[in-house]
Amino acid sequence: MRIETCYFCSSRIYPGHGIQFVRNDCKIFKFCRSKCHAAFKKKKNPRKVKWTKAYRKTVGKELAIDPSFEFEKRRNIPVKYNRTTWNKAVEAMKKVETIKQKRQNTYIMQRLRKGREVENERDIKEVQRDISLIRSPAAGLKQRRAAEAMEEDEKDITSIQKGLSLSKTNKKHKVQDTGEMDESDEEMEGIIEDGGEVTL
Amino acid sequence: MVYKRRKYHYGDTHLKKKWRTKRRTKDLDQIDEDLQPQNADKLLNQAPDLDKPGGAQFYCIHCARYFVNDQALQDHFRTKVHKRRLKALELEPYTIEESERAAGQGNFHLPQKRKIETQPPKETIADSEEEEISPKKAKTK
Repeated sequence: MRIETCYFCSSRIYPGHGIQFVRNDCKIFKFCRSKCHAAFKKKKNPRKVKWTKAYRKTVGKELAIDPSFEFEKRRNIPVKYNRTTWNKAVEAMKKVETIKQKRQNTYIMQRLRKGREVENERDIKEVQRDISLIRSPAAGLKQRRAAEAMEEDEKDITSIQKGLSLSKTNKKHKVQDTGEMDESDEEMEGIIEDGGEVTL
Repeated sequence: MVYKRRKYHYGDTHLKKKWRTKRRTKDLDQIDEDLQPQNADKLLNQAPDLDKPGGAQFYCIHCARYFVNDQALQDHFRTKVHKRRLKALELEPYTIEESERAAGQGNFHLPQKRKIETQPPKETIADSEEEEISPKKAKTK
């Protein structure tokens, strides 16, 4: 009694299941179900059929090369029954199976993580390219222009203030003397600025 | 007016017959074995067999087919079927061992690619022609 592997999809074949075909060069092909047998009869290539193990491993969807695969093998050598070796073998098999499962799962997770990164990059690129669809480049253009105009004005003012520094200082001293007339002070400055512009 | 009922669906019996093991043609891994030099020699230089087309003298290894004469064989080398077969044989064929490796018995290595060319023209024909020519030459001499 032995759990065989399917020629086409590499799944397990339990006793009493599937069908086998003996080719005229004595090679035995075992199939788990009629689906696999029909595909074989149609000469399909298992490496190109997406639901087979061979496809998943050739394309790199599953872990293909790992030392944990070296344990399971067809050993056609009879071993005399020994209770201790039997128990040890069963325990080892369980341990190997858990390790193998863990490695295969991590392999798949790493693969998916890479896809996630690529997806994020693509999303960022798309947003940068099509930002105009979310926020029009013309939005807030008036305000920005006004702000720019203000800045330019301020620059002009500073230049003028430097020019008129002498006269300003004189007037400020007078205001400080009066004390509470802050608002009038600002008005006065405005007047001075206007006067300056006019002179320019 | 009643028109004649036209039969559109012709089923897949013709396909099923083709897929039956009774008419099974050689698989790619068998052809791969044939491509080994000692096997190829045997197949290309067969003893005349009147049951086979062309007396088994004109054989294409890659397509595992007999042809009636050399002209048919040369024409076949220029067909799409033959070129497709060469392309299919470029990768190492899938075997039972590989199916076991895919199931987790041993490491699964990717199939290697190799270069495959159509068989060279038969030397025996050239030899026979020379033989035919040589007596004539001898006569002229």
